[in-house]
Amino acid sequence: MNKLHFKVGLFAAASLLLGALFIAYLLYARGFFENTYRLQLAASSADGVAPGVPLVFSGIEIGSVTTLGLNDYGGIVIQVELLERNAKWLKQDSTFTLDKPLVGGAKIRIDSFNPDAPALPDNSTMLLLTSDISKEIPVLVERVKAILANVEHLTRKDGEINTTLANVQTVTGRMTGEYGMLEGVLGSPEKARAVTDSLDKTRALITRLDGLALKMDGMAAKTDQWLFARNGMADLSRESLAQVKLMLDDAQSSLKKADALMANAVEISANVKEGTQDIAKLRAEIDDAVRQASALVKEINKKWPFARNPEVKLP
Amino acid sequence: MHFLAASIESLGAKLAGWFTIGYGTFAFLTKASLLLLDRTTWNHATFDVVIKQVYFTAVQILHVFLGYSLVIAWLIISIILSTARDFGLTAFASEMTIRVLVLELLPFLTALFIALRSGSAINTEVALMQVNNELDALAHCKVPPMQFEFLPRLVGGVISVVLLAGLAGLSALLLAYLSIYGASIAGFEPFTHTMAKIFDFRIVAGLLVKCALFGLAVTLIPLTAGLETPKKHFMVPVSVLRGMMRVFFAIVAIEVVSLALKYI
Repeated sequence: MNKLHFKVGLFAAASLLLGALFIAYLLYARGFFENTYRLQLAASSADGVAPGVPLVFSGIEIGSVTTLGLNDYGGIVIQVELLERNAKWLKQDSTFTLDKPLVGGAKIRIDSFNPDAPALPDNSTMLLLTSDISKEIPVLVERVKAILANVEHLTRKDGEINTTLANVQTVTGRMTGEYGMLEGVLGSPEKARAVTDSLDKTRALITRLDGLALKMDGMAAKTDQWLFARNGMADLSRESLAQVKLMLDDAQSSLKKADALMANAVEISANVKEGTQDIAKLRAEIDDAVRQASALVKEINKKWPFARNPEVKLP
Repeated sequence: MHFLAASIESLGAKLAGWFTIGYGTFAFLTKASLLLLDRTTWNHATFDVVIKQVYFTAVQILHVFLGYSLVIAWLIISIILSTARDFGLTAFASEMTIRVLVLELLPFLTALFIALRSGSAINTEVALMQVNNELDALAHCKVPPMQFEFLPRLVGGVISVVLLAGLAGLSALLLAYLSIYGASIAGFEPFTHTMAKIFDFRIVAGLLVKCALFGLAVTLIPLTAGLETPKKHFMVPVSVLRGMMRVFFAIVAIEVVSLALKYI
């Protein structure tokens, strides 16, 4: 056996076998052994879409745009091709979005929300949505411009913020003076001095009030003695009240009698003729009751010095 | 005025020289191609020389070459992956790796490797045979040097470069897969998709043609350079020098044209 021939033969055979396997793998990868799945995407604009733009599902490329053109009504129709093994990810509720990032090429993103939804049949037509960041930039720039203009307006030379800051500077400058924050708030050292003077006077006043309060305490103690000592004002009042109670009981019994008489009077008034004698008697009773009540009031007046204009009105 | 005339004359001489070399090379190639198509060329003896050529050009150095290409591939893959990670472009890492290594760098390095090892040897051998009148002697003995010396070297060179570049490319692909996805089949689908995206018919055919042209350049140019050697011993190194320069320019020109065709 020729060793050299064997080695070359082995090398050639191995290389050819590997080459054949690689070609077969490439054919498999390019979908030679399976059907191609086609899809039409309808879009409002073909801006950024070109043949070769990838179809991406969950970040993995599963197909690409083959052609794009206009239909009879002027709408954009984008033809997309993908291998049948990748078509299982397309569902009837899938959405197709054209993503145009700031960096990198455009791509069509597929989002399938419900894995149990029915599969999308071959040759379907779907809507292509657009999420274009670059289109939002001009709007954003306009808004930023407006904000900057506002900031510029606020910070202009004679603007509010500058004035406010100048005022703050004046106030803080005053705060470093003899009277500190008080001078800052009031505006000048003279006014601050007036306030401190007033405070000094108030302090003196409070000291005097303290003395007064001590005197008041002494008076209160004396009043206590006068009121609650033995045979003091309180004891006298208690006795007087007992007498008043007795007199009131008396008056109550007289009024009860008057009440009974009044009841009779109602009956009597039905027959006046018979009742004239009774009325005279009633008059005498009432006068008696009123007299007693007046005496009672006088008595109370004597005992109770604060009441004014006592008056008992007859019913 | 005299200087200008001298410059123009020198330019003309150079152009004429390049034309002569180019014409000689293509005439040699045409003769070899015609012989290749001749049925009587392919006898047992010619096959034997082709097999020996393949053995000495490819099989003998296979382990060294594969080791060297794997180290370079590993380095380039690591650099591309870490750079892609730094810039947040990992999605493009596998495509970039395959394009840089399998389509461009490894075929180019294979051609350089074979040119330095076998091309220079062929150039020296042919120059010495020319100087020592061995070629005339062979022709006199009814052993045509084109059939038994030159054509097998051309065929062997082309086969060797194509197969070695293919093997290096396949091992680099395997290494790229392992580097990106690790030893799991999880990355098979995305990797297959990337492969499908890169290797369309045009690219595969272009890669094969490029490797074949590399193989031709690293054998054809040393052969013709050797045959041009004047019959003086001290001219042998000069012949090898010129031959290797031309090989280098030819390899670079093929690479540049292939890149231009692919990406422009």
